Amino acid sequence: MTITPRIEDLLRELAPQVLGMLVRRYGQFDAGEDAVQEALLAAALQWPQEGVPESPRSWLVTVASRRLVDEWRSESARRRREESATALEPLGRGRPVDADDTLTLLFLCCHPSLSAPSQLALTLRAVGGLTTAEIANAFLVPESTMAQRISRAKQSIKSTGIRFDLPPESERADRLRVVLHVLYLIFNEGYTTSAGPALQRADLTTEAIRLMRMLRQLLPDDGEIVGLLALLLLTDARRAARATADGSLVPLAEQQRELWNTAQISEGVALITRTLGTTPIGPYQLQAAIAAVHDEAASADDTDWPQILALYEVLERVSPGPVVTLNRAVAVAMVNGPRAGLALLGTLDTIDSMTHNHRLEAVRGHLLELAGDAVAARESYRRAARMTASIPEQRYLALRAAQLG
Amino acid sequence: MKYMIMMLGDQATMMEVKSKEWIMDMIEFMGKMGTDLTESGELIDNRGLADPSQAKTVSIQNGIPVATDGPYAEAKESLAGYWLVDVESQDRAIEIAAVVVAFTKEPLEVRQVMDAPPQL
Repeated sequence: MTITPRIEDLLRELAPQVLGMLVRRYGQFDAGEDAVQEALLAAALQWPQEGVPESPRSWLVTVASRRLVDEWRSESARRRREESATALEPLGRGRPVDADDTLTLLFLCCHPSLSAPSQLALTLRAVGGLTTAEIANAFLVPESTMAQRISRAKQSIKSTGIRFDLPPESERADRLRVVLHVLYLIFNEGYTTSAGPALQRADLTTEAIRLMRMLRQLLPDDGEIVGLLALLLLTDARRAARATADGSLVPLAEQQRELWNTAQISEGVALITRTLGTTPIGPYQLQAAIAAVHDEAASADDTDWPQILALYEVLERVSPGPVVTLNRAVAVAMVNGPRAGLALLGTLDTIDSMTHNHRLEAVRGHLLELAGDAVAARESYRRAARMTASIPEQRYLALRAAQLG
Repeated sequence: MKYMIMMLGDQATMMEVKSKEWIMDMIEFMGKMGTDLTESGELIDNRGLADPSQAKTVSIQNGIPVATDGPYAEAKESLAGYWLVDVESQDRAIEIAAVVVAFTKEPLEVRQVMDAPPQL
């Protein structure tokens, strides 16, 4: 089966809208979600042959509703009576397509009562329109594991009686933070399990960016949404340069910058430039601004480190934490010398959460190397290589240590 | 995050010194572990390995690889079986291991599985 990219894009865009309408009409998220997946599959088979229907959305709603009704018919009489009663009281029947449905769906899939792996999987299926097989493939787990995870998440939504409504205004900001974190995790999952320019259909970095664009359309005035979208674009822009063909990592300073995606950099820079200062500042906007400074430098030597250091200082005030301090130490080293950076790193040694953090040792190794202390640098690289849970990183760190003799 | 929860040691000796009731409870317990982890959508794979007495060790002798009978490690250090899980955090992996350890009273080793692009 080959679906043309246009049909595929259309289906993925319509998936959450159709599901939103179904849940509003019949009040059933779990069964509705299955029905929408079946309708998407039917469309993927039929449309390339027979052409895209005049109203693709209505087509999908009709087919999905029919599946849902078929499903009820096949269940027991008791169940059927219950469900028919629900079906007779549609919520908001006749409403036009409501953009808020997609937003509500996103909040539902990222409900704080679900575990992070469940939030990620459910968001990709119900909002992203990916199949279970595609999601399983992207997370490198068997399809049966992913199917069970999604089914458990849907059961959990059903049994806790979470309603298909936008969260109340008082909870909106916190709930949005969870949504953004889930989309950030989806991107990260794709980023750590991919190397080089290879792209899959269900590539998680691309999907996270697509969902962020959708979210921005729904809530255009939120600065942190723009910030995260810009951050993802500016990070993903370096994808082709961050690893060699054999999967070896290339650090930022050594990347061939002509491989960077200039269109994504321009878009990311424009987004963050337009937003900074117009909405309340937040950690995603600041991280995007830092990524923009890196991406705008023609070479590693041209990097405006004082600017990056200033941004990290603001970030540490807005959103303090050991990982921010770690990153700031690199900027301190680049502005004030490696010893100054190492002194700041030393303040992290007593923090429990950092004792097993390979990045602390990797950065220390790098700064020791810059300071000319090859012996200590090698020890830090070796410790970092033992701590990382990433094979490409482990190989990179082992090579750095080996190069120092 | 993926973790391998490894049961080390000599299952045969363990079975030989336990009562019939304990063995039956153990079978039921292991079955339930598998079902629970499957239903939670966390289990990738779980396997038990044949007894180390049946193992072969392949090693270099006089420059060529040669197979000999028996395990490389001491029986008590040998891998007896594992659960491969994909979980939210290390804490969750430890929680799963703790349930097993509470039953078997034998230690388990919990090791993170490394991330890598699919081709590696």
